[in-house]
Amino acid sequence: MKKDKNLDELFRDKLLNYEQEPPAYLLENVLAGVAGARRNRKIVFWRISGVAAALLLAFIAGWQINFRNGQDIKKDVIVSQQSAPEISAEEKTELASSTIANQPENKDSNTENLSEKVNSQRADLVHEKQIKKSESKSILKNSGNEQMALANENYKLASDGNQNTADRIKTIAKNSKSEQITSSDESLIAQKSDDSMLLKPFRSLFRLKNGGMENSAKNLLAIKKEVPQAARSEKTIDQQIMEQNRQTLMAQNQAKGKSRWLVGAQVSPEYSISRSNHSQVYASNMLNSSTNPVDLGGGISVELKKGKRWSLQSGVYYSGMGQSSGNSNISAGKDFAFASSNRGSEYFNTNATIDASNSKMMMNSTAGVIEFKGIPAGIELGANLEDKTMVSNAVVVSNARFIQNFEYIEIPLYLRYTLLDSKFDVEMLGGFSSNLLVGNQTFMESSAGKNRIGSTKDMEPMNYSGTLGIGLKYGLSKHVSLNVEPRVKYFLNSLNSNASVTYKPYTIGVFTGLSYEF
Amino acid sequence: MEDFKPIISDCINGSRKAQSMLYHQFAPKMFGVCLRYAKDATEAEDNLQDGFIKVYANLKNFRHDGSLEGWIRRIMINVSLEKLRKQHLLYPVEDVAIYDSVNFSDDVIAKIAADDLIKLIQQLPPRYRMVFNLYVIEGFSHQEIAKEMSITQGTSKSNLARARDILKKKVHENYGELNAQNNYTA
Repeated sequence: MKKDKNLDELFRDKLLNYEQEPPAYLLENVLAGVAGARRNRKIVFWRISGVAAALLLAFIAGWQINFRNGQDIKKDVIVSQQSAPEISAEEKTELASSTIANQPENKDSNTENLSEKVNSQRADLVHEKQIKKSESKSILKNSGNEQMALANENYKLASDGNQNTADRIKTIAKNSKSEQITSSDESLIAQKSDDSMLLKPFRSLFRLKNGGMENSAKNLLAIKKEVPQAARSEKTIDQQIMEQNRQTLMAQNQAKGKSRWLVGAQVSPEYSISRSNHSQVYASNMLNSSTNPVDLGGGISVELKKGKRWSLQSGVYYSGMGQSSGNSNISAGKDFAFASSNRGSEYFNTNATIDASNSKMMMNSTAGVIEFKGIPAGIELGANLEDKTMVSNAVVVSNARFIQNFEYIEIPLYLRYTLLDSKFDVEMLGGFSSNLLVGNQTFMESSAGKNRIGSTKDMEPMNYSGTLGIGLKYGLSKHVSLNVEPRVKYFLNSLNSNASVTYKPYTIGVFTGLSYEF
Repeated sequence: MEDFKPIISDCINGSRKAQSMLYHQFAPKMFGVCLRYAKDATEAEDNLQDGFIKVYANLKNFRHDGSLEGWIRRIMINVSLEKLRKQHLLYPVEDVAIYDSVNFSDDVIAKIAADDLIKLIQQLPPRYRMVFNLYVIEGFSHQEIAKEMSITQGTSKSNLARARDILKKKVHENYGELNAQNNYTA
């Protein structure tokens, strides 16, 4: 036991404070790992923000649709309110005709009878009107007390026969009309004051659910139709013009507020500009990215236009992008001498690593690590040469270039604002997109042609991007427009999940296409 | 400990310079710790890297009521323990081999360099290595070890005894000139 304790103490004394300097590259890895963890937190933040924004937009869109439905139902009610003066006109016509018929014969003797008759007719009409008003008011949810007060007033007026009949008729008609208008205005004001913005969707939802309410509105329309045409002919020319103007204005307002849909298709050449950061260790052994090939993008868009200025756009787009990587030129050293004398070709001073387990070759590029399916034909590896003194082990001798292609399906959500609304529209657009990676290929291009040799490792399957653009729209016809839209897209998160690589390219495209509005 | 407060604060704010300073301050000692718990230098490097990433991620939770070095050391040990748990190395088939117990002078071990002692420890089976490190170097009790490793105290004692035996045998094999006396056990 004592021996064991001695042994333990010996080990403890020697090892408790033992220190050894770790390899220098570990610090870089640690710092890259910390940065990666922070970036992951940012990505989570952006994802949550994206979902929240999408939910908010969906809520606003739903609210707008509900709001529109609510307005439609309310318009029916307004029409029923406008039928009230027509009842007064009818009343006026009937009463006036009987008055005129009786006047030439014996004005004085018939006055009393006429008064009674008029009062009787007036009472019936007012009573009928009250019933209609009662239905209208029940929809508008006005208080029953107001309604009763109005009915009592009308009855009082109808039973009072002391004044001149014609004047009475005019007065009754005027009172009735003004009361109706006042009543309808009050109802609308009450309705408007009740309609807080937040309650509108729920109110309209309630109305949609409540079929009885809708039926009441339809009944009102039916009652309106029953009003004889003769009443309308009684209107003066001015009244008719005013009525027509009012109807035109209402129609215009309705058209203005109505949502329109646009469906379109666009294509665009897309030029991507690489923007990347790398850890020092990674960058010290990385291919030189030189050119960015122009790719083709395009897709189908759906746009909901609300009002004259604002619209919401989504759709499905295909987007291709990529980069071509070569090597930094070095014109000295044994590797260069070997490459230029024996092969007449370039050599890659970027080291290639070989995974012994599956013989896969890997090289660092600005977009991430290129993983080769095998060792491609046309490539000479220093490690495979018999005489290893001629060239470094990890050197790759070839005259090839590596082309990395990435293909995405983009689902955007853009908000558009019309700056200039004429034959030639100018719009601004901005928004976010979700980009699903659907293609990841790496090709080797040499004098022998272009062959697929592998893919880029650690590419994120889902990315988020922000887009800004200007839309120019020229109306070819009432429904068809030609669009030209320069857009800039910027990826918000790194396309590669490798902790040593931050790859966020820009994409510039000019989307051209047609859209159909309905 | 007070001296580290500004560096800790800067590290929390993401300052690379502060993170580098903290790393340089503790990395050599912590690498020594990781080397003892790992089977080789590569695994130790991995543990050191993972450990420091955890240190930076959790610095905001450091309460400043104890030694920062002790706190970081504990994280390094936890990383090693976690790795062993993931690899299911804490629950191996019981080692039924019978090891010879050898006796030798303490001077022999005193003459062995620390690097070489660590290499001997790295050759221990993972669970024995863990128990030996926790008990002998860190000063944990068998009760604490049993709790940390989810084993019984008896297993901990047994593992420690076997670890010692293996180490003695390896010292004997590698450094000779020992006053060996074999005791065979039934």
